[in-house]
Amino acid sequence: MSDVKKKRREVLKNIGRLVGYGVLGGVFAGFARSLWPNVLYEPPKRFRLGKPEDLADGVNFFPEQRLFVFKKGNEVWAISAICQHLGCTVNFVQLPEPKVLKVGNLEIKEEWEFHCPCHGSYYAGDGTIYAGPAPRGLPWYYLEIDPATGMLIVDTSKEVEKGWKFKLA
Amino acid sequence: MSLKERLYKVWRALVWTFDPADRAEAGKAITRNFWLHWFPPRMTKRSLSWSYSLWLGTISWVLFVILTVTGVVLMFLYIPSVERAYWTIKDLEYSVSWGWFLRNMHRWGAHMMVAAVFLHMMRVFYTGAYKNGVSHAARREINWTVGMILLVLTLLLSYTGYLLPWDQLAYWAITIGVKIAESVPILGPQIKFVMAGGTELGQPTLIRFYALHVMGLPLAVLILFSYHMWRIRKDEGLAAVEQFRLAKKRKDLQIDTSGEEPVYSTPWAVRRIVLVSLATLVWVMFLATFLDSPLEEPADPSWTPNPAKAPWYFLWLQELLAITTIRTPWFTINGGFVGGVVIPGLMGLAATIWAFLDKSPPEATGVWFHKSRTVQNIVFTLGVIFIVGLIIFAMYFRGPNWKVYWPWAWPEIPEII
Ligand code: HEM
Ligand code: FES
Repeated sequence: MSDVKKKRREVLKNIGRLVGYGVLGGVFAGFARSLWPNVLYEPPKRFRLGKPEDLADGVNFFPEQRLFVFKKGNEVWAISAICQHLGCTVNFVQLPEPKVLKVGNLEIKEEWEFHCPCHGSYYAGDGTIYAGPAPRGLPWYYLEIDPATGMLIVDTSKEVEKGWKFKLA
Repeated sequence: MSLKERLYKVWRALVWTFDPADRAEAGKAITRNFWLHWFPPRMTKRSLSWSYSLWLGTISWVLFVILTVTGVVLMFLYIPSVERAYWTIKDLEYSVSWGWFLRNMHRWGAHMMVAAVFLHMMRVFYTGAYKNGVSHAARREINWTVGMILLVLTLLLSYTGYLLPWDQLAYWAITIGVKIAESVPILGPQIKFVMAGGTELGQPTLIRFYALHVMGLPLAVLILFSYHMWRIRKDEGLAAVEQFRLAKKRKDLQIDTSGEEPVYSTPWAVRRIVLVSLATLVWVMFLATFLDSPLEEPADPSWTPNPAKAPWYFLWLQELLAITTIRTPWFTINGGFVGGVVIPGLMGLAATIWAFLDKSPPEATGVWFHKSRTVQNIVFTLGVIFIVGLIIFAMYFRGPNWKVYWPWAWPEIPEII
């Protein structure tokens, strides 16, 4: 066989290999991709909490969404019940009497706390982490009133700054 | 001819094609027999002794077979749906004939397998059985590495199986597991997304874990185990055999191997394999008869049991990830990543490369606690004590809210297994 022929064979062989591996790789990449869902059949992140006047004064727990909603006078605010360490549901703990908790140089007036049963993360009344392994405090979420229905709506995909409260009219 | 002899003749006619007259023929009798062909014709008595291997690898394998058989039956009775999974397990307990026994055998078999595989690894380490002695062909450190993967697969099998009842224990174990994955920097959220099949736990999560548990992981174990056994053949036998090679090559070491010479694989190995298999089966059936598997309330995302404890073989990880969150003024690293991924990952990596770095002399191959390996053995033992110590601490000294209590002073006694 001439050198040119040999070389041509070599090149063709390499192209063949490349195509073969490429197709195989592509097929498997496709299989893997199929495991990343495109459509989620999950409850929406934005949902109705009901009429604001139906909320109890103080704490309201929404178990399905794992959310605490607080109402005081004409203010409402929403704090997640999902522990920021590894996702257990924190317990709401009413303190026997209000107190002031010092976290670093913050002074937090609180009437309740959140305690995580899984690995002992302790959160102050406003969600600030003060003990245990959680890397951050409990998030607060955005609230609004649906003008059409007058329902209070929370959006758990929109985090707001700690202390952000919604004023009812 | 007695009935027994008659039956034996029938059996031989079915599986053997000829009567061995000498050693060569005896060898062929083994390699040509369907049930025996994966054994070498002869094995040393030393490799077969109870005290060398403690037969822990075989026990692990028998447990795997028990789990496969009971698991296949369970597949006929279990429905992997978030609405019905829990109630099919309840049915096993209350309305399926022998359902409780099936479930108990599967459950305790799984616990035993985790223990057996771990003990097998310890045995291999303490006998220096990943070393190659004076053999030129052996590469036993490869089998050590394969074994590490088998250990991880065994743990994953337990973990995925643990979730299937979809009770409180299951639900919170996946929650934590998935969140550990999420705490990995950069890639975390994507790993979590594909593990859970969405942004929260639900049907897609259960079916993924189910598929892994009944198909993906057992298949992987089967393939790797076959390779594990093939390697033992190509590595010229268990490491204990190196003592014979040394005894011949290095008279100065004065190794005494008398009374441990090679014998035919059948009946010598076969008899012990049957004995070990039966003993393992009886032990699992014994446990299944007298110990009931726990089943908590149905999964309830809104309420976490207090304390929520992982199964014992993961408690050391749970303890680690509860105490390893790193806080600096500039950044915070979740203990889920440090204690759940980095520390166990580094320990596994260290254990794996250990076999490649061990430079002890060939005499230390295939014998318990060789004096040239004392320091290694102490370091390894400290690692084991670290794990077992954390397990005991988390099991008996961690109470509600993961606070430290004396075991006798717990406010309430929660489920721990
Ligand atoms: C599913 C899990 C496993 C099964 C079913 C299994 C099975 C076996 C069996 C049947 C043997 C023959 C000797 C004996 O019975 O002890 C063996 C030997 C061996 N195994 Fe495993 N094994 C498993 C996991 C592991 C692990 C976790 C390691 C270590 C990291 C390991 C490393 C080895 C090595 C190096 C040998 C050769 C020992 C020698 O030459 O004496 N295996 N295994
Ligand atoms: S999940 Fe709350 S402390 Fe770990």
